[in-house]
Amino acid sequence: MKNYYSLLNSDWNSALDQLLANYSIYAPFKNIDSSDYELVNQENIYEISYNIPKPTTPLKTFFLPIKENLIVTLKTINKRIIIGTPNCDIQGLNILDEIYLDKDYIDTAYKDKRDNTLLIATSCYETQEHCHCMAYDIRPFSKEIADISLSHLDGKIHLEVLSEKGEKFIIELKNYASISNSSELEIKNIELKQSKIENTIIANNTELPDYKKTGEIVQKAKEVIWSKYSSKCVSCGACASICPTCTCFLLVDKPEFEKVRQLDACQYPGFERVAGDEDALHELSKRFRNRYFCKYVWKPQKFKSLVCTGCGRCIEACIGKINKNELFKELAN
Amino acid sequence: MSDKTNIYKPIKAKLLKVITESPTIKTFIMEPAEDFSFKTGEFIELTVDGIGEAPFTPSSSPLETKQIEVTVMKTGYVTEYLHKMKPGETLGIRGPFGRGYPIENFYDKEVLILGGGCGFAPIRSLLYSLAAISDRLRKVTLCYGSKTPDECIYKPYVDQLRNTPKFEVLRTVDVPDETWTESVGVATVLLDKVKVDIENSVAVCCGPPIMMKFGTIRLLELGFKDEQIYLSMEKNMSCGHGKCGHCMMGKYFVCKDGPVFTYNELKDTPSIWE
Repeated sequence: MKNYYSLLNSDWNSALDQLLANYSIYAPFKNIDSSDYELVNQENIYEISYNIPKPTTPLKTFFLPIKENLIVTLKTINKRIIIGTPNCDIQGLNILDEIYLDKDYIDTAYKDKRDNTLLIATSCYETQEHCHCMAYDIRPFSKEIADISLSHLDGKIHLEVLSEKGEKFIIELKNYASISNSSELEIKNIELKQSKIENTIIANNTELPDYKKTGEIVQKAKEVIWSKYSSKCVSCGACASICPTCTCFLLVDKPEFEKVRQLDACQYPGFERVAGDEDALHELSKRFRNRYFCKYVWKPQKFKSLVCTGCGRCIEACIGKINKNELFKELAN
Repeated sequence: MSDKTNIYKPIKAKLLKVITESPTIKTFIMEPAEDFSFKTGEFIELTVDGIGEAPFTPSSSPLETKQIEVTVMKTGYVTEYLHKMKPGETLGIRGPFGRGYPIENFYDKEVLILGGGCGFAPIRSLLYSLAAISDRLRKVTLCYGSKTPDECIYKPYVDQLRNTPKFEVLRTVDVPDETWTESVGVATVLLDKVKVDIENSVAVCCGPPIMMKFGTIRLLELGFKDEQIYLSMEKNMSCGHGKCGHCMMGKYFVCKDGPVFTYNELKDTPSIWE
């Protein structure tokens, strides 16, 4: 296959080692009961986890840091490679790109980070309890947006090129390692693994309505549903903070006309408050409902991209144990 | 214009003069460090250095590019600091942002304007624009309401308008004093006093949410169609580019898709008056 390359694990590791001279490389590492991105160094290269489901931190934080001075620190970042991003997060970049690369107002801080990042996505070989990407027509492996899709198989790393940037990276990689084309059998075996995990995710989420129906369901939901589910909400904003597609922010002013962007959430009190204390989202249940309308009704009317990618992080992060899949199941029946 | 390479960086503007319009409202005349142009109804983000930024629709004429004016009611954190500022001090400006009044749609029409309180600020900018094209308009009627005679702003400008052919001004206050000779009651009462050829009219509404709500209801009762009513919406516009999410109103970002909307565009959006 033209766009499918492979190399031995050991060669890949040694290539990464040499690439560290030119790039900051981030990859997922397993912790006790989770995994998260860490900066790769010469010592930890061998501990990178491949083909695992989503890391704790969403990909968006690489492009929209929690806090960022938009005036003084606005400078070109070092080139970087992010390895091991599952497709739910990769697809989440679509809405970020629509908003932050909007041709009328390009956000240069965001664009600089996007331009200088090579994205090596990964196929999920495992699934987590709340993964439901397939319910929203997102497959657990990337075929677009990322530059390369990585699959680990039988002592080899397979790299499927998805973009021109990815193609250039393969050329660069050839300076450091011996690379050959993946065989048809190897590709077939990867596809078998992918298809197996697709079926598992489908089987785990049979009761969930698909994405196309979610907007209508949210619009029809009665007040009692919002009251019931929001009664356990404490406005901590974890759902929005950890969501790969929630990108609202606050601009904080500093002396010398500096502006600091800080990630914000519509779940926090005062999000829509204006001078004179008018606040359309003063009540907690309205803030709770707002997030569902934003994701499943309003943004889909305005943008092409999906605004929920079925990663399930909001369910895991909620300290009130609010499960939005349970809410949708209740509403769908 | 704002710096295109960094959409968050304000340009400096020197505060030239502060006019006290009412006990709570002041007009700030500024000279931007570079020419600054806007279309009427578009808004700017004004930075009080190190304190905060807030959205205001300029009250000056869009034809003036050397100076820009905003009229501000002291009502929150940023405006409180702004009200303490003196000529010579420096402010920051970003913008202009959004979609203003499509005044080309007003040609050959009567323009009925309903304004309240500090909502006169964007309206004054609109009136300057309309005066410049008055030969293409049938008539312009301003119905303006404020709480008290003291709170009526732009008094010299109102006198000037009353002497301008094709322009008419009706005013009302909620609580009159012994000197007040005009109407008494909320702004919408004035709508019953004007003669309008509704079929050949457009209506513009700008003011506090409660006035916008009841003003729109009354305009509809009078026979205005949804698409004939232009509303200047106020939300928590912050970034100005449809990114930060604070001014989302249904599927719209008020900062980018508005702040001027026809009622037709908004009528299916929930909670627009909140």
